[in-house]
Amino acid sequence: MASELTLTVNGAKQVVSSAPETPLLFVLRNELKLTGPRLGCGMAQCGACSVLLDGEEVRSCVTPASYAVGKKVTTIEGLPAIWAAEKKLSDADAARTLHPVQQAWIDEQVPQCGYCQSGMMIAAVELLAKNANPTVAQIKDAFTNKAPSPHLCRCGTYAAIIDAVQRAAQSMKG
Amino acid sequence: MSARAQTLGDSLLPGTITRRGFVKMGGALFVSLSVPAEFNYANGEGQTSLDPSLLASWLEIRSDNTIVARTGRTETGTGMSGYYAQVIAEELSVRPETISLILGDTDRTPDGGYSAGFLFGMENVRKVAAYTYHALQDLAAKQLGVPAGNLSVTHGVVSGGGKSVSYGQLVEGQNLDLKIPVSGGYAKIDPASPDGNGLAGLDGFTVTGEPKTKAVSQYKVIGTSYPVPGIPDKVTGKTQWSCDVTLPGMLHARMIRPATMGSSLISVGTLDKKQFPTAGIVSKANLVAVVSPNEWEAINAARSLASTTKWTDWAGLPGSDNVTKTIRAYPWGAPTESRGAKGPEVRAALASAAKTISATYEVPYVRHAPIGPFLAVADVRSDGSVTVWTHSSQSQGLRAQIANTLSISPEKVVVRWLDHSGQYGRTTFGGDGAEADAVILSKLTGKPVRVQWTLQEDLAWSSVSPAYVIDVKAGVDTSGRLSAIQSASYTPHQSDARLLGAVLAGMPCVTPKAGSWVATEWPYDKIQNRLEEAYGMPSIGSDATSSGLRGNIMRTPGQRQQNFALEGLMNEAAASARVDPVQFRLDHTTDQRLLDILNKTAKAAGWEARPSPHRSARKTGNAAVTGRGVCIMVRSNAYWVGIAEVSVVPATGAIQVTRFTIGADCGKVINPRQLDRCMKSGVAMGLSEALKEEVTFDEEKVTSTNWSRYKILTMAELPEIKVVQISRDDKGFGGGSEAANAVVPPAVVAALFDATGVHARRLPLAPPFVAGLLRG
Repeated sequence: MASELTLTVNGAKQVVSSAPETPLLFVLRNELKLTGPRLGCGMAQCGACSVLLDGEEVRSCVTPASYAVGKKVTTIEGLPAIWAAEKKLSDADAARTLHPVQQAWIDEQVPQCGYCQSGMMIAAVELLAKNANPTVAQIKDAFTNKAPSPHLCRCGTYAAIIDAVQRAAQSMKG
Repeated sequence: MSARAQTLGDSLLPGTITRRGFVKMGGALFVSLSVPAEFNYANGEGQTSLDPSLLASWLEIRSDNTIVARTGRTETGTGMSGYYAQVIAEELSVRPETISLILGDTDRTPDGGYSAGFLFGMENVRKVAAYTYHALQDLAAKQLGVPAGNLSVTHGVVSGGGKSVSYGQLVEGQNLDLKIPVSGGYAKIDPASPDGNGLAGLDGFTVTGEPKTKAVSQYKVIGTSYPVPGIPDKVTGKTQWSCDVTLPGMLHARMIRPATMGSSLISVGTLDKKQFPTAGIVSKANLVAVVSPNEWEAINAARSLASTTKWTDWAGLPGSDNVTKTIRAYPWGAPTESRGAKGPEVRAALASAAKTISATYEVPYVRHAPIGPFLAVADVRSDGSVTVWTHSSQSQGLRAQIANTLSISPEKVVVRWLDHSGQYGRTTFGGDGAEADAVILSKLTGKPVRVQWTLQEDLAWSSVSPAYVIDVKAGVDTSGRLSAIQSASYTPHQSDARLLGAVLAGMPCVTPKAGSWVATEWPYDKIQNRLEEAYGMPSIGSDATSSGLRGNIMRTPGQRQQNFALEGLMNEAAASARVDPVQFRLDHTTDQRLLDILNKTAKAAGWEARPSPHRSARKTGNAAVTGRGVCIMVRSNAYWVGIAEVSVVPATGAIQVTRFTIGADCGKVINPRQLDRCMKSGVAMGLSEALKEEVTFDEEKVTSTNWSRYKILTMAELPEIKVVQISRDDKGFGGGSEAANAVVPPAVVAALFDATGVHARRLPLAPPFVAGLLRG
C-alpha cells in the first residue's frame, strides 16, 4: 500500500500515500484536508462529493485517486483561484474575490444545511463553462438528467440554486 | 459551535468555561456576584455545564463592542442562527453582525432545549437581551450622570446629555450583579415521561419574568433580511462540519449491521490480516464494527467482515404493502389523546345531519433521509470523561442518553455540536445517529473513534416517521355546511428515542412508551361539534433485537398526517356541496388571519372560484388534464395556505405539479428573504412527500436503501413557486418554516381530484398507484 501518487489539486502538486484505488474523496478529505467535497451516498447517486477533473464534474466517492493522476483536480476551495487566473486579477484583488458562483450562492442565500452545496456549486461551474447563459429549463436539466445521477438536495433549495446560477451567469458576463 | 464561533479561537478539544474562566478571559465581561443555591455544582471548576442564572453564561460584551451569545439550540438549516442574532440585536440596539453565536455545545451554552423550538429559544435570548439592555441603561445613567429616560442607544453606543459611551467601554472592568431568572433544567432520563420518549426536560431552561421589550413599531433589525451568518463559510469550504472532526490517534469505524431487523449474532467473521493489516474487529452483543486508522481500509474490511459474519434468520415484519392491515389489526384500546366536544354530542350531531361523508386516509412510512449519512466522533477517556462531536439538535438530551448508556453521570459527558446534513426532526430527542456506536467503540478500544454510517445503513437503520391510518367522518347540514367532524388517527409509536448502537449492544436505553397525540390546531371555528382522537401502538417490529422500525417525529409531526385527512375531507365535502373549495373554507371560519391569508394566496394564484372537479375533468386517455387544489393549516401561531396546479396523464398516472402558491402569516416576520427561501424549500420537501416518498420493507428488513429506491424530489420536478407573506405587528412571532411541507400533499391531492374527479386518499401519488386509482 505504500505507493505514492502525484496529484494536482487546486493548482498545487501533492504527493499522496493513499492506495491508488482509494476514492479521490477520501484522499482529498483525509490526506489533503480539503473538506469541501463531502461523503453523501458513496455510490454516485447524489453529487455531494463532486469535484472538477480537468473541468469535468466527477463524483469523487467512486473515482479512484489513480484516475486523477495527470489531471487537474478542483474543489470549492480552489474555485476563487480559477476565477482570479481567468480574470488576471492582482494578488490583492484575488484575495478578496470569490468565484462568481460562490458569490451568487452567498448573495442568493442558497445553503440551508448546506451539505450538498459544494457539489451543487461544482455542477454550476461546469454548466456555466459550457453554457454561459442557461435557461431555467437548461439548469434543471443539467442538475437532474446529467449522468450519473441527479444532484439531490434534501432541504429543497432547488429554487435558490436556479436563482444563483442565473445570477452567476450575469456576473460572469460583466 | 457555529462557523463564526471558530473565529473566536475555539479549539475542538474538550474544554469548559467556568466562572473563573470568564474572569481570566480578555475583554470586559458581565459576571454575576452571587450564585443561587440551587446551582451549587458539586464539581466546582470542573463542571461541564454553564449556570443559566448567570448573565455571563448567555451574553458577553467585549471591549471592542462585539457580543458573544450562547444558546444550546442549534442551526438546523432554516436560518435560526440569523434570527437569534436579529432578536438579540433588536433588544440590545446593536448591529446583528457584531454578534457571534456559540450554539449547541453542552459545556459552553446555558439552556439546552429543542432546536426546532425556535419560538421558545428565541424568547429565552430575547428576554436575556432585554434584561441586559435595562441593566446597561442603568449603568450608563450612573456613568454619564444622565437620567436613564434621557438616554438613547444606537449600534451599541449609549448617548445622552451631549455625552456617549459604548457598551464595551461601559462594562470594561465592571461587575454587574445581574441574575437571569430561570426555571426548568437540563434533559434527563425519565422512564415515566408522559411524552413516551423516556426523557424529561427536553425544553431545557426557560428564562422567566417579563422584562420590557422593544415595541414592534420601533423594530430596526427584526423584519429585515439580515444574511444568515454561516453561509459564506459553507460556500467557501471554511466551515468545520461534524464530519471534519479528526483527533490524534482517531480510528475510523464502519458498522456491520444484522442480516435482518431481528437477527442475533451467531458468530463474528474473520479478517485477512495480510489484506487489512491495520484493521481490527470490535463487537459487543449484536453490535459489530471494523476499526482502522485508515478510512478506506475500514470500508473494505467491513465489507469483507460482513460477508463472513453469521446472523440468525428472522422474518417478523409485515411488509410495507400490509402496513394498513397491520395497523387495523392492532387490538386498540382507548385513545391516547382526545380533543373537542364529548363523543355523544358529536355522534348526535352526525346522526341528525342531513348527510354524512366519511373517508379513510393513509400516509406511508417516510424518513428524514439526510443527504449526508450520519456520523459521530467520540472520545471516552481513561478518566471516565466523554466528549462526543455530533450534529444532534438536542445536545442535552443526547448527553443524558449517552450518560445513561455508559452508566455514568451526565457531568462526565460533553456534547459538542457542529454543522452537518439537515435532519428535519430526527434528533429532536437527542439521538438517532452514530453517537452511541461511537462512544461504545471508543470505550472498547480506548481510542477516539469516528463512526460514519453509509447511506444504505442510514436508510435502513435510522428511525422512521411511521405510517398513519386516519378515519374521518363529517356531518353536512341542508345548506352543505359541516355541522360535525369526528376523526380517529391510528399510528405506530413516533417518539422512540432509543439509540440504535445501545440497543444492539444490549446497553441501557431510554424506555419508549407507545402513544400518539392530536396535533391539529383547529382552524374551523364554525364547525362546533368535533371530536379528534389519536391512538398509538408500539413500533412495527418492536420485539425484534434491533427494536424494528423505531418511530420518530419528522417535520410537522402528527399534524402533517392528521391535516392530510382533515383537509382531504374538507375538499371532498366542498365537492359534495358543489362549492368552491376556497369559499368552502372561508365559510367555516371567522378567524380573520385565516380569511386574510386564504384570500391573498388565492388571489396571487389567480384562483378562479368554481367547484371541483373541473368540467373537463377526465380519468382516461393519454392527453394531459389539468386541475388545481387548495389546503390550509394552522400551526404554532402561523396560518398556511397551499395551492397546487397539476397536469396529469390519466393513462400513465404521471403527475406534474406545474405551479405551487404558498402563503403564510406567521405573525411578525423576522427575516423576509429567509422565510421566502424556507417556504420554497418546504414546498420542495412537501412535493417529495406528495409524489415520491415511501419507506418500503419486506418481512426481514427495509428495502428502500438507496436514492433509486427511496426517491426524493429532483430539481427538474420543481414547479414555479409563488410565495405570499403576511407580516403582522400585533400577533407575536409564529413558526415560519416547519409547516411549509405539510400544506403540499393535500393541495396536490385536491388538484388531482379537480383534474380527474377521483379522490386519492393515500400517499405517495406514484404513477402506478394513480393510474390504478383512475382505472377504478
